[in-house]
Amino acid sequence: MNKEELLSRLKVIVSNYTQNKEALDSINEDTDFLKDLKINSANLVDVVLDVEEEFGIEIDNLSMEKMLNVRAAVEIIETKLHEAGRE
Amino acid sequence: MRLAGNDIVDLQLAATESNWMRKGYLQKICSEKEQALIEESEYPNQLVWLFWSMKEAAYKIHSRKTGQRVYAPASLETTLQTLNPGFSTGFVSVENCMYYTQSTLNTQMIHSLATQERSLLQEIKVRISLHQDGIYPDYASTNPHSVSHHGVYLALIYL
Repeated sequence: MNKEELLSRLKVIVSNYTQNKEALDSINEDTDFLKDLKINSANLVDVVLDVEEEFGIEIDNLSMEKMLNVRAAVEIIETKLHEAGRE
Repeated sequence: MRLAGNDIVDLQLAATESNWMRKGYLQKICSEKEQALIEESEYPNQLVWLFWSMKEAAYKIHSRKTGQRVYAPASLETTLQTLNPGFSTGFVSVENCMYYTQSTLNTQMIHSLATQERSLLQEIKVRISLHQDGIYPDYASTNPHSVSHHGVYLALIYL
């Protein structure tokens, strides 16, 4: 899976919880889920669970700690897919 | 250092925004001990959001202290010391730090305060206001120590 495909699938997930819809149009690796997209912190769990389902991976709590922005999320998904041998 | 945090949950909004009964959800936000308490409780919904608001209030101090942003709600371990209708006290432990908490609850909302020193809990001035239109007044000039808003509620605290 290339980064663009990964990013577009991630964007679909976060759009369900984004309160600042305008920020979605300019989403990039620096976009912060809480500060920029204004995702409610209790909904960040839903983002993590949706990512697990969408990509068929498991995100342990240590990885979840860092999942505050797009860059970190992409890195974690890539790492988990790599570990599962499904790049 | 005098540090405090606060967090408010609009229960009506929480019910539409979050489904904590979703598979895997509680495991990501609660410790095993907390999950067991929720499972046994007569009021599981209130308990989930009570724990959540305690964790959020404590996290606001902890992240200020450490200068680190992390998303690890399950690692903030809550302990309830008293739980009465409408009022609860307890503490939150994380990474060898401990924060005292005090919460007010009703059928509409849950509000939690957290402090480093227990005595500070009594000194905090809390201002909770309702804004049905979802538009909050400009409070910046009042210089609140911690701000929390959710749904129709705005909660400001002053030291």
